[in-house]
Amino acid sequence: MMKNFKESSKTGAVLWLFQRITAVILFVMLVYHFVFYHFVSKGIYPWKEVVAKMQSPWFNLLQFTFLISALYHGLNGIWMVVEDYIHCKIWRMIIFSAIIIVGFALLFVGTLTIIKISSLNV
Amino acid sequence: MYKRTTFFDPNYYKFVGSWAWILHRLSGLGLIFYLSLHIWVINSLTYGDETFTKVTVFLNSPLFKLLEVGLWGIILFHAFNGIRVVIVDFFKGSLIHKKLFFVLIFIAFVLWIAGSYMLIAHIQW
Repeated sequence: MMKNFKESSKTGAVLWLFQRITAVILFVMLVYHFVFYHFVSKGIYPWKEVVAKMQSPWFNLLQFTFLISALYHGLNGIWMVVEDYIHCKIWRMIIFSAIIIVGFALLFVGTLTIIKISSLNV
Repeated sequence: MYKRTTFFDPNYYKFVGSWAWILHRLSGLGLIFYLSLHIWVINSLTYGDETFTKVTVFLNSPLFKLLEVGLWGIILFHAFNGIRVVIVDFFKGSLIHKKLFFVLIFIAFVLWIAGSYMLIAHIQW
C-alpha cells in the first residue's frame, strides 16, 4: 500500500523547506503584528485614520507577504497532517483540491481587501 | 507489514517531544481556522465607516479580549515550539531538544502573562 506514495519522499522536501522559511517570516511578522495591533493600539480608532494608514505601499507589501506566508504555512500544515492519517488516494485528492480551493478563495479575499483599501479616497 | 497510524500513539505518551509534536499540530489547526476568520473579518474594513465601527466595537468587547488572551497563548506556544523545530532541523538541536522545549516554553509563558495583562487592561467595562 505504501508504494503508492513513493513520490511524496521527493516532493515533500520542498514543501518542508518552505514550511520552515515561512515559519521564520511569520515569527517575526506576528510578533510585530501583535505588539502594535493588539498591545500598543487600544480602543476604537476612526475608520478614516485606519484606512489612511493602510494605504502606504510598504504596509501593503508587508501585508501581502504576511498573507502569502500565513496561508502557505497554514494550508501546508493541514496537508502535512492529512498525509499522516489519510492513506486513500481518492480522499487525498479530494482534500488536496479542497485545500487549494480554500487557499485561493482566502488569497482572493485578502488581496481584494488590500486593493480595495488602497483605492479608497479618504 | 504496513500499519495504520493512530492520531497519537499511546506508546509515546511518556516523551516530552511527543507532546510538543501533538500540541504543535493541534494549535496549528486552531490557528489556520482563526486565520480564515481573520482574513474574512478584516475585509469589513472595505465596507465603510459604519460596518467597521460595528466590528471594532465587538473586537473591543470583554468577550473578544478574553478570546484574544487564549489566542495569544496558542500563538506563543506554536511560535516558540516552532523555533525549537527549526533549531532541531537546522542546528543539531535534537541533542538538547528537551531542554530547548522547557526554556522556550518558559519564555513563551512569561510573554503570555505580560501580553494577557495588557489585553485585560485594555478592556473598557
